[in-house]
Amino acid sequence: MDVHRTQLLLPDGVSAAATADRLAELVAVVTQRAHAVDRTFWDTFDGRLHAAGLALAESGSRLALLDAATYDERAAVDRARGGPRRLLAGDLPAGELRERLAPIIEMRALAPVARVRSRLLPVNVLDDEGKIVVRLQAEEPSVRSGDGKRALRPRLNVIGVRGYDADFERTVLLLTGELGLEPATRPVHHDAVEAAGGVAGGVSSKLRVTLAPDERADRAAVTILRRLLEIVEANLPGTLADVDSEYLHDLRVAVRRSRALQRELRGVFAPEPLRVFRDGFRELQALTGPTRDLDVQLLEFGDLASSLPAGAVADVVPLRRLLEQRLVVERQAMVRGLSSERTRALLDGWSAFLDVLVASPQDERPDAARPVAEIAGERIGKVYKRMVGMGRAIDDDSPHEALHDLRKKGKELRYLLEFFASLYPAEVVKPMIATLKGLQDVLGRFQDREVQVDALRALGDDIVAVEGGAAALMAMGVLVQRLGAEQDEARAQFGERFERFAAKPQRRLVAQTFG
Amino acid sequence: MAKVIALYNIKGGVGKTSAAVNLAWIAADEGARVLLWDLDPQGAASYLLRIKPKVRGGGSKLVRGKSDPAALLKGSDHERLDLLPADFSYRNMDLALDATKRPTRGLSRVLEPLSEDYDYVFLDCPPAISLSSESIFAAADVLLVPLIPTPLSLRTFDRLREFVARDVPKPRPQILAFFSMCDGRRSLHRRVIEEHAATDGVLAAAIPAASDVERMALQRRALAQFAARGRAGRAYGALWTELRGRLDG
Repeated sequence: MDVHRTQLLLPDGVSAAATADRLAELVAVVTQRAHAVDRTFWDTFDGRLHAAGLALAESGSRLALLDAATYDERAAVDRARGGPRRLLAGDLPAGELRERLAPIIEMRALAPVARVRSRLLPVNVLDDEGKIVVRLQAEEPSVRSGDGKRALRPRLNVIGVRGYDADFERTVLLLTGELGLEPATRPVHHDAVEAAGGVAGGVSSKLRVTLAPDERADRAAVTILRRLLEIVEANLPGTLADVDSEYLHDLRVAVRRSRALQRELRGVFAPEPLRVFRDGFRELQALTGPTRDLDVQLLEFGDLASSLPAGAVADVVPLRRLLEQRLVVERQAMVRGLSSERTRALLDGWSAFLDVLVASPQDERPDAARPVAEIAGERIGKVYKRMVGMGRAIDDDSPHEALHDLRKKGKELRYLLEFFASLYPAEVVKPMIATLKGLQDVLGRFQDREVQVDALRALGDDIVAVEGGAAALMAMGVLVQRLGAEQDEARAQFGERFERFAAKPQRRLVAQTFG
Repeated sequence: MAKVIALYNIKGGVGKTSAAVNLAWIAADEGARVLLWDLDPQGAASYLLRIKPKVRGGGSKLVRGKSDPAALLKGSDHERLDLLPADFSYRNMDLALDATKRPTRGLSRVLEPLSEDYDYVFLDCPPAISLSSESIFAAADVLLVPLIPTPLSLRTFDRLREFVARDVPKPRPQILAFFSMCDGRRSLHRRVIEEHAATDGVLAAAIPAASDVERMALQRRALAQFAARGRAGRAYGALWTELRGRLDG
């Protein structure tokens, strides 16, 4: 049962106390002693709480999940002051707060995004019985950032009292009319995050670029690659600091997409510098691969272990420990590599290369000045046709590799559609992505199960050497069997998903749109 | 699920309303979400909280399930304490309840939809044993009975316990009493308290007959707002701590 709340901004240069005095001339009020409140707001790097319309605020020893617009409390826990500055869902005590947060943040870590100190002056509006009918809080907030404290625009929080709705509405009218306050369009912590140099909605790792069909292909390539480089750079610090596994994931996706574009639009680059950068990006991908594989195995471990018979769940604990030990070793190697001068030189060199690409000589770049839509259409049409051909050739006797190859081609098509989506009508691209996604899900599951089985098998020799290893090995046998069955299931679904992807109307639409 | 505490005594003027308002306020101060339902048509608790003793549609619609109780709530001057106000029509509560299919379920029916929103619900009950009393017994987890420390009051308390044990269907409320309006200058009060406080069903905390309590009506505020450290203020604090211990245990 929430009460009415709204936030109004005080006019520029008007203090909280002056507003309270002015209000006292118009209605009966009682002013209480001003006090200060310190709040630290938390969110994930990509702003998942913001996107969900929520805010997580720490004040004293209390961590509270709030409605971002009204600050109505949804759940809260007590937490030791000065605790860790990074929280995964699993670090929170079991209870409502965790239950609400876990599905929103998933594998992402929460970290402080703004520290706000607010001086609050409570002013209560009274009725003719002397009873409080509206609560007001004049708030003078400031945000602490690296270079000190910055004052934010003062505001007035207007909080209704249950059963006194008319008084609430009357007071808001008075404040906006007589006193000239205007509605705040966003909560104070959004102001604070931006004043501290952050982004209120978090840092997105989505590609989101808009191209023009007749744009030069090399210019379009630079637009896409520059955005991808931005994503790599944005996710690098969190990857090195191991804030959560998603930084590395997003970094790797951006590197993979960069490599795909280097390949798809190779005619806009001169061959020699391209070769050097392609080698560099391949190394970057290889450098981060083992850590990501172990991240995935550990992220999926809970689900995998919970599929075991109840008695065997504890048996796989040594396996988890082994994976964690390996992750430590692999991560150290990755961090060394990512922090090396070689990686810095690669990323800086790539950035400098993109800066001058469009202006560089075109004699070795045959596609440089062609309209991007022409090349994009050719590539999308060609890869789609190739996939249809490859898929049709797959039957029950085809080797696993045939499905794996089709998945790789599917990834290529997916990237092309993502890069060039803005050039084509959404009603063509969206269903194409939907049926492609349906197909890729099955192919992905087919391959993932095989990779998981291989990973478990590869651990077999090592696991028997540790304490409790024999029981773990037996439990792993059960898992291998289950994963094998799931792989068979995925394969059985292939035919139907492929038919949808390669259906005649879709083929016709692709031919019409992409030539 | 809210714990329902009914301040109950068949006699009037024993300190039910003062206890209901002060205990509700102290519980809210501690961080609990509290609802106080002023069931007494005289509306003294509503008056103390400066809220008009008026319920849209009256008590009859409320107990017949024809009014949404959430829409009738009034916030008090304490952010976590709400009031379901008194209404003069509550004087006919017996008739209203009698007209429902299951008269003893009348109050529970009103409280059920509110139960998740509060930790404690206090009922400030009117005096007398009647149909509404039976509805109170069915809704309450605890009957909290203020007793003037006299032998006659103790006898009435024993009769109440007998009645509940004999005539009230299960689940029956727990019955607890505390001494109220205690006058330390009167030897009878001192003796009764010495002999009976902190014994079977009677709590140890005793509320003095202090002028602070009388001043509540002038101030129209709970003791915690103007005399929390006074003798009576501290006694209500001790009473709440003891009662909360019984509720949690």
